[in-house]
Amino acid sequence: MSGSPARRLALATLRYAALVAVATLLLLPIYWLVTASFRPSADIFATSSSFGWATLVPERLTLAHWREAWSGELPRAVANSLFVALATVALGVTVNSLAGFAFAVFDFPFKRVLFAIVLATFMMPFESIVIPLYVLVRGLGLTDTFAALILPEVASGLVIFLFRQFFAAVPKELYEAARVDGASWLQIWWKLTLPLSGPTIATASLMLFVHQWDAFFWPLVAAPGPERVVVQVAVARNVTLEVANWGGLFAAASTAILVALVPFLLLQRFYLRTVTAASER
Amino acid sequence: MKHGFREPWSIVAWFLAPALLGLALFRLAPIAIALVGGFTGTRLTGETVWVGLRNYRRLVEDPSFWNAVEVTLLFNLIVNPLQIVISFGLALLVLRPTPLVPFFRAAYMAPMTVSLSLTSILWAILLEPTMGPVNGLLRSLGLPPQPFWRGEDQALATLIGVASWKGVGYWMVFLLAGLLLVPKELHEAAMIDGAGAAARFRHVTLPLMRRPLAFVLVADTAANFLLFAPVYLITQGGPAGATALLMFEAYQAAFTYLDKGRALAISSVILFVIGVLALLELRLLRERGG
Repeated sequence: MSGSPARRLALATLRYAALVAVATLLLLPIYWLVTASFRPSADIFATSSSFGWATLVPERLTLAHWREAWSGELPRAVANSLFVALATVALGVTVNSLAGFAFAVFDFPFKRVLFAIVLATFMMPFESIVIPLYVLVRGLGLTDTFAALILPEVASGLVIFLFRQFFAAVPKELYEAARVDGASWLQIWWKLTLPLSGPTIATASLMLFVHQWDAFFWPLVAAPGPERVVVQVAVARNVTLEVANWGGLFAAASTAILVALVPFLLLQRFYLRTVTAASER
Repeated sequence: MKHGFREPWSIVAWFLAPALLGLALFRLAPIAIALVGGFTGTRLTGETVWVGLRNYRRLVEDPSFWNAVEVTLLFNLIVNPLQIVISFGLALLVLRPTPLVPFFRAAYMAPMTVSLSLTSILWAILLEPTMGPVNGLLRSLGLPPQPFWRGEDQALATLIGVASWKGVGYWMVFLLAGLLLVPKELHEAAMIDGAGAAARFRHVTLPLMRRPLAFVLVADTAANFLLFAPVYLITQGGPAGATALLMFEAYQAAFTYLDKGRALAISSVILFVIGVLALLELRLLRERGG
């Protein structure tokens, strides 16, 4: 912005060098893991213990590790995790947008207190209550069920907050006009405001999906059986059982990363926009 | 929040009930269970009995609990300022939308797609002392290989580094969102007044970044305070207790020693700290803009 052209060029070069260095540090480990999953075991070990060009560029490729990973419990774990994550997204967007709508549009007694409680739950990370929640879920006889994996993650203070911020920005006249036309509040929520809130829905879905897809601690304790195994727990089990089988572990881990990458790539551009809009008000 | 529509409870309740019931059952009830359960113990016969302060008295007398407190505090005192400085730096780095910057923004968010447990597995292997590629790189540069996770002096530092690899891109988003809201006109006005880049950062950017910084500071602390997966998957609290974070201590009490009272007492301690952090956050956020 300031200074001579030479100085500006030097600063820009420095900036891009820093950009590239950080990107390398963040992306290279993921790249190495995914490419190594396609290499014969001998190549993985030989090229990682002595670092060189061959560490980064595979010479021989094989699908053996992927076949092996996918013949175990991984397919069931992926299916379970997808079901849990998608059910949480569907229920979570519905339930939290309803509550966000109420906080944005209605006046009712105890509104401030209730909203403060919602905000407080969003400042309280889920992990802090994992053990007492386990006591509760076991008391209800829900261990090793989908309900135990899905229901605790549906209501989310953060998602309620995001929807409230969005709905509060919709001009009040829009609601008034719809009321004059005889629409019920439920119809207004469903037909008027939800179609407007695409970016917020996208961000909320991404948050809920990734949260469930990444879940490890809670499924580890709430669903320890083989029937309801989820993807992160299934991958982690490979570590403790077969320490020397890096290839199979990498293929399973790559599966988990690539599935999470799809919604991320689709929705990440809405993410920054929604976070910016939510922090504006 | 002012001047909403006044509707009877019978209508408002339809909108609020599902979410609020969920929060009450799965967020608030567990807090009550932890607080009450911390004062109970389980007999060999399986029945739960009131034991008063016994669980807490035992915690206070237990050196492994104090070690966990110490390690957790040390870890948090380093990891949180470090992550905030780095993520603020990254946010500034990707602020100006010059060519390729959208790619770098996305690239920095990419570790968000690698779950914490996968991050742990990935870095357990990258930093494996004999076979891992990082030591392979060190050897090829003529440097001595390092023990990383297995070194009593290095394990906690390694944990801090790996948690930051996963975390900084995530927190960058919130700080970048804050930076994008700093009005350009303020910078232009300051420039006309002859303020250099450093002065503009101190007097224009930083004051306006207080809210996002306060939010990230507290949310990041809460997240790191509860770190579990890497400790469980890689170090199991070792070597020699060097990475025994409180959350792992609570897990072990509940699932290794099957001591529910102790586990809930540690959970209460954790919830107390989280509660203090939440109050602090509300205060910091309220100071501006009310």
